[in-house]
Amino acid sequence: MANRRLLVKRLKAVRNIRKITRTMELIATSRFKKAMDRATEAAEYTRKISEIVADLGRANLKFSHPLLERRAEEKRSVLLVLTANRGLCGGYNASILRQSLAHIRGLNEKSIELQLEVSGKRGIKFLNYQKVPIHAQYTTFDDQPSFAAVDELGTRYAEDFMAGRIDRLDVAYTKFVTSSKQFAVIETLLPIAGLGGGIETKSEAGVDYEFLPSAQEILAEIVPAAFRAKLFKCFLDASVSEQIARMVAMKGATENADEMAGSLKQQYNRARQAGITSELAEIIGGAAALG
Amino acid sequence: MAELSLVLVTPERTLFDRQVASIRVPLFDGSAGFYPGRAPLVGRLGIGELRLTEVSGTVESYFIDGGFVQVKGTVVSVLTNAAMLSSEISRKSAGAKLQEAKAELAKTDIEYVASSRRLEKARKMLALASKD
Repeated sequence: MANRRLLVKRLKAVRNIRKITRTMELIATSRFKKAMDRATEAAEYTRKISEIVADLGRANLKFSHPLLERRAEEKRSVLLVLTANRGLCGGYNASILRQSLAHIRGLNEKSIELQLEVSGKRGIKFLNYQKVPIHAQYTTFDDQPSFAAVDELGTRYAEDFMAGRIDRLDVAYTKFVTSSKQFAVIETLLPIAGLGGGIETKSEAGVDYEFLPSAQEILAEIVPAAFRAKLFKCFLDASVSEQIARMVAMKGATENADEMAGSLKQQYNRARQAGITSELAEIIGGAAALG
Repeated sequence: MAELSLVLVTPERTLFDRQVASIRVPLFDGSAGFYPGRAPLVGRLGIGELRLTEVSGTVESYFIDGGFVQVKGTVVSVLTNAAMLSSEISRKSAGAKLQEAKAELAKTDIEYVASSRRLEKARKMLALASKD
């Protein structure tokens, strides 16, 4: 009998957990949709920037900008790690942190000075536990990072890079490819590798633009803008990927809870039936003994 | 008559994407106006008011914060860091921002550039503010 009561208790617990995971799945789904919409809207800006860059490329001018220059010797490097503020999202945080740790070790071996900046409580906790010194931490970039906030970071990095205080900026985040494919990457944002992201509009055979004030000055202004847009995209990608990861994790958890509830129910029914059978056997046995 | 449409995008979202009759944007050194049939152009924007006249004749005004303008064919694309309807700027908050910018003390050249930019932004914003 005690066994049966225990089973009922566990069954209730599993059902309650299922309710929670199911709700979290639904919340993550709606947040994912919002984050996705934002990312799509932001893509328009990036697309236009690369269009102008491609147009500038046709204007026959030399692409030179301090943000594009690769340093001969890298002495001081910045790693920005984008993790989530909350857990329960499968391997999302773990895979970023694993990559980051490997990167940090690589830098230590080459004895390059590292300035580590982490966004998200999960990453901060993990790296503190690993006793990796963190130079700056942010917990304010939640599901909806605002451009103004990211811009502040971007401007600081760009200034530091141009002033020679840093030689390289890497960002560890989860890249969003499609809604069924995201993976953790470490990307070098500074120096900027390729402008325009490889988008070349070949169809039009060169529009003759009038540049105000001049093509060179437009370039000088658009390179930082492209960099900031790219950094912002990293944040957006990370937030979309986080919601997807949480959605998938919670869906798995709900399914597991369903399965568990099913098997517990079965066990309970068996125990109940066994109880009835043995009770019946006792009555019949008793009656037979009396008779 | 040739057509003209305006696409106003910020890194966060597309604010405006419609046909218009004419547009006026703040370039880095003054205003520039576009009518249908403008020759292709890429220009650097300043801080200030973007004014557009809809096909129906109503005038709308946005505050924009730097960026670029590209005219290509019948499309004018305005890429800016931040944009908002002038009617949504409140005089109070713009005034507060101006006070804040004025109170700043710049110690280095870079800081000076940044703070004078903030000051200019706050001034232009206040000039456009129509609400209390």
